[in-house]
Amino acid sequence: MNQPKITSMKADDIQTARRDFMVQALKAAGFAVGGSFFPVSAFAQGPTPKRGGVLKLGLQGGSASDSLDPRLINDSIMMVAAYALMNGLVQIGPGGKAEGELLESWESDDTAKKWTFNVRKGIKFTSGKLLDADDIIYSINLHRGKTVSPDRGILKPIQSMTKVGSHQIQIELDAGNVDFPYVLSDYHLLVVPNGFTNWTKPDGTGAFELESFTPGVRINLKGKGDGYWKPNCGNFDAVQILYINDTGTRTAALRSGEIDGANRLDPRTVDFLIRDPQLTVVRTRGTGSRFCFEMDTSSGPFKDPNLRLAMKYGINREQIIKTVFNGYATLGNDDILDPQMPFYDHALPQRHYDPEKAKFYFAKAGAAGRNIELVTSTGAYTQAVDCAELFQQSLASAGIKLNIKRVAGDGYWSTVWMKVPFCASYWGRRPTADIALTTALQSDSNYNDTHWKNPKFDQLLAQARVERDEAKRAQLYDECQKMVYDDGGILCFAIGDYLDGYSKRVLGNAPTARYDMSDDRICETGWFA
Amino acid sequence: MTRSKHKYRLTPSAALGFGIIAIYLLVALFAPWLTPHDPLASLGGAWQAPSRAFPMGTDSVGRDMLSRIIFGARLTLGLSLASTVLSFVTGISTGFLAAVSNRWVDGALSRWVDIMLSIPQLIFALIIISVFGSSTAVLITTVGLLDSTKVFRLARSLAKDIAAMEFVEVARLRGEGLWWIMRREILPIASPPLISEFGLRYCFNFLFIAGLSFLGLGVQPPLADWGGMVRSNAGAISFGLAAPFFPALALALMTIAVNLVVDWFLAIHARPSGASAEM
Amino acid sequence: MFKAIVSRLALGMVTLLAVTMLIFAATEVLPGDVATAVLGQGATQATVAQYRKQLGLDQPAPIRYWRWLSGTLHGNFGTSMTNQLPVAQEVAPRLRNTLFLAAFSALIAVPLSIALGLLSAIHENGLIDRGTNVLAVFAISFPDFFIAYILIYIFSSRLGLFPSLATLSSGMSLAQRIHHIILPAVALTALVTAHMMRTTRNTILSEMSKPYIETAFLKGFGRIRVIVRHALPNVWAPIITVVALNLAYLVVGVVVIEVVFVYPGIGQLMVDAVSKRDLPVVQACGLIFSAVFVSLNTLSDMLALYANPRLRRGAR
Repeated sequence: MNQPKITSMKADDIQTARRDFMVQALKAAGFAVGGSFFPVSAFAQGPTPKRGGVLKLGLQGGSASDSLDPRLINDSIMMVAAYALMNGLVQIGPGGKAEGELLESWESDDTAKKWTFNVRKGIKFTSGKLLDADDIIYSINLHRGKTVSPDRGILKPIQSMTKVGSHQIQIELDAGNVDFPYVLSDYHLLVVPNGFTNWTKPDGTGAFELESFTPGVRINLKGKGDGYWKPNCGNFDAVQILYINDTGTRTAALRSGEIDGANRLDPRTVDFLIRDPQLTVVRTRGTGSRFCFEMDTSSGPFKDPNLRLAMKYGINREQIIKTVFNGYATLGNDDILDPQMPFYDHALPQRHYDPEKAKFYFAKAGAAGRNIELVTSTGAYTQAVDCAELFQQSLASAGIKLNIKRVAGDGYWSTVWMKVPFCASYWGRRPTADIALTTALQSDSNYNDTHWKNPKFDQLLAQARVERDEAKRAQLYDECQKMVYDDGGILCFAIGDYLDGYSKRVLGNAPTARYDMSDDRICETGWFA
Repeated sequence: MTRSKHKYRLTPSAALGFGIIAIYLLVALFAPWLTPHDPLASLGGAWQAPSRAFPMGTDSVGRDMLSRIIFGARLTLGLSLASTVLSFVTGISTGFLAAVSNRWVDGALSRWVDIMLSIPQLIFALIIISVFGSSTAVLITTVGLLDSTKVFRLARSLAKDIAAMEFVEVARLRGEGLWWIMRREILPIASPPLISEFGLRYCFNFLFIAGLSFLGLGVQPPLADWGGMVRSNAGAISFGLAAPFFPALALALMTIAVNLVVDWFLAIHARPSGASAEM
Repeated sequence: MFKAIVSRLALGMVTLLAVTMLIFAATEVLPGDVATAVLGQGATQATVAQYRKQLGLDQPAPIRYWRWLSGTLHGNFGTSMTNQLPVAQEVAPRLRNTLFLAAFSALIAVPLSIALGLLSAIHENGLIDRGTNVLAVFAISFPDFFIAYILIYIFSSRLGLFPSLATLSSGMSLAQRIHHIILPAVALTALVTAHMMRTTRNTILSEMSKPYIETAFLKGFGRIRVIVRHALPNVWAPIITVVALNLAYLVVGVVVIEVVFVYPGIGQLMVDAVSKRDLPVVQACGLIFSAVFVSLNTLSDMLALYANPRLRRGAR
């Protein structure tokens, strides 16, 4: 694995995180006993944070139909606001390891089927109520059974959840899973008091309370003052989040100082911002969104694996990364995992643009003259159309004709994704290989957008879930990844970097192993210099 | 009258206008032979400054901007032309019809147009394109029909004014049919403002199509129109990069040229007073 | 005259009703619905069915339309299907913002365009005429978002005079509000002034070829007096029509400006609501737009009737 050169910005934090991570990865990723008493590693930044000030964020990723109901959260603005108001069960530390948030520690039996979780004591909600096991059970149940929450699928393995004590619960799964705590780190699983339903004013254990919320416009959060249970966190007096979906405007506002932080900077112009002495650009390398073109493997032209390989060899990954992402992405290798994740198969040779091979497989598939169409939209990801256009050209140089259909972003996820043979899509990072592979590729997963049904793969996954021997586990995952690489419908060509921009005054904004804006927790981790 | 002899003499500004339009038409016609590079190939980094190899720099994906602009001429000029023609044919026929028909037909048509006008255009386009997909044909039809509502209003008010004049009443009393009246009495007098309106709406339609690309509803890749190019390169403006200026200037020059010609045209014809709905 | 007003108002009501039905039907026809739109990637058959049931979407269309209509007539605009907030609460502040920006722009644009139009007509082919013509053509030659970005670049990024974000918050004074909306107001003013000014100028000039104007000149009146006292009063009708259309545009057609300047107005709300198929919000916005349009239209129609005696008489 190539050690990338770190350019400017918060280089130190990234180096430290990666070093920690490498050490951990060599040991193990799924523990029988886990969690920590105080998740200090995530928050200790060295200098003691100064308190005070109003943080103004201008973010992309929300609309006038947003809601703070955890079951409906699916984009950045709501994620940032929700993590300011509420806490989750388990969080991912800078090294990628699961750490306790409101579930402070846990242990499981040998089968990894029965889990016992300890609820953190002495935590208060905004309303003053103290956190207990009933709140945890209620909050998880919001996402189980007959619910609109997308976590319905990943929580299906939970057979029963019982309250064992005022601060202890027991969860029984229908099959063993050593990584189960990672499942509970999903950003939808936020904790509210038992029976709570007033989503217009969530009652949470986070560092802030909701002052006002105008969906599509702004969210005002007020600090709850001293006494937030996470050390060195909750330093701002208040936070204002403005919806600024237009990238040009968001960047202009950051540069003129009207906002202190912005997400999703345009990689093509970020170099100007890096040179700006008033700004800091925080770059999360190689662990951002996996940008893909997904092929339906169960029906249509891509049922033939030769055609899938033709596409995979027909895309010029380096060119796309150089022009569309301006170098702010790493090569994707048709895998759902990235090289920094545990169990990533480094032995898989990196695919490159090979027009000869593309031609060969295309001929083998006998697809000459067939109408192959790729559906794309800026609604899939901002650069989806540009990437598709370059793909079209690189295929044309290999003598293969690809038609592009660009559709409006509106309704993309409901009318296009998973419904057409070939379309643009992206994957956010998942904390473990198991969650990533299961969510994207297990036969019965809701999100199996390549409709890939491979019983052997499912079997391997299930085996890996209960395997405690690291080496054996790695072998199983290697086999899985090889299957996906050779035969799967995922054409992952790039893994984007996250690019956040902040005013120089903002500290405590280190990149994390999961999402941008410090895993969407900038509100609680940040402070003004 | 001496007027008719000097009537069609070109002023310098009109000549400039015609000249620019002629150049644009030529570029559109001979585009494939004029592009210095392949307009679809990514040849450099994104948003590079103008250089010897790329006289107008590169676009958001590293393609030669000059080639893209030449390449986009056909689509930009053609789309706008097709939709404006559709809009005028529809607008004029319904507008004249409304003006000379009885109260019910006029009322119904006018109400229908009011209804269409009170729904924001972008929303309307969003709805239609979401249902019918975004092929060139749908784009032309959508823009054409939406625009015809404005033409309707102008045509109707022009025709009403003219129809209220005595000679039309005379024709009607003579027993002439609706179509005859529309064609022989109203159209000749209404022509000058309608023709100048055509020029203006033609320009407006490029911009409307550019606005559609703001919602992601415009032209399909690899085709590109200038408005869409301004949109996809707009992110460069806040950094003072030149990229979006070139397609914007291409649009602006065309608009200016058409306006010069229209002004000249208007100056040589007497205009009956009427609402020139210039939106 | 009174009868004309009443009948126009009645027609206006009918138009409003028809608009709501059209919008309802159109949103129904759109692929997908609020459940799939809101749940996005999380939409599966099960979650979608659940969401639909919660919102009462499993009932047939006419019933839902009727429910909405009767609710509205009682002043209850329903709740947003996506975030459960009352529609009135969501729409009202946005409407205020849109009206504020529209009114401010109109206050500048209307007097400015009429004055410039008059001046251009008076000094036909003079410096003022040519100058304003050139500026007007420039204003309408570029896409609106382009003008917006340029304004931000020049006045905000480089000169730092005005904020690039036009977002208003409740604590602001009037002066602060105006300071925030100056850039979008300038963009809008430029667009509508160009149209209104050209119309004013052109209609006045076309009026100049009429015989009674020649008479006025022969009587010895100066050009300014002839234009202002004789020609202008007769061309109010078309000018008012264009002004009304542009005012309607200021309220209804400025989505792109709202997006670029992050101005929380109604346009963006409606686009979002259509994207999410949030019917109550779409209907409310649609109602507002058509009410604005219909009232401005009715007003200008009546003024036009008043101005042209031939039409007033109803002669054909």
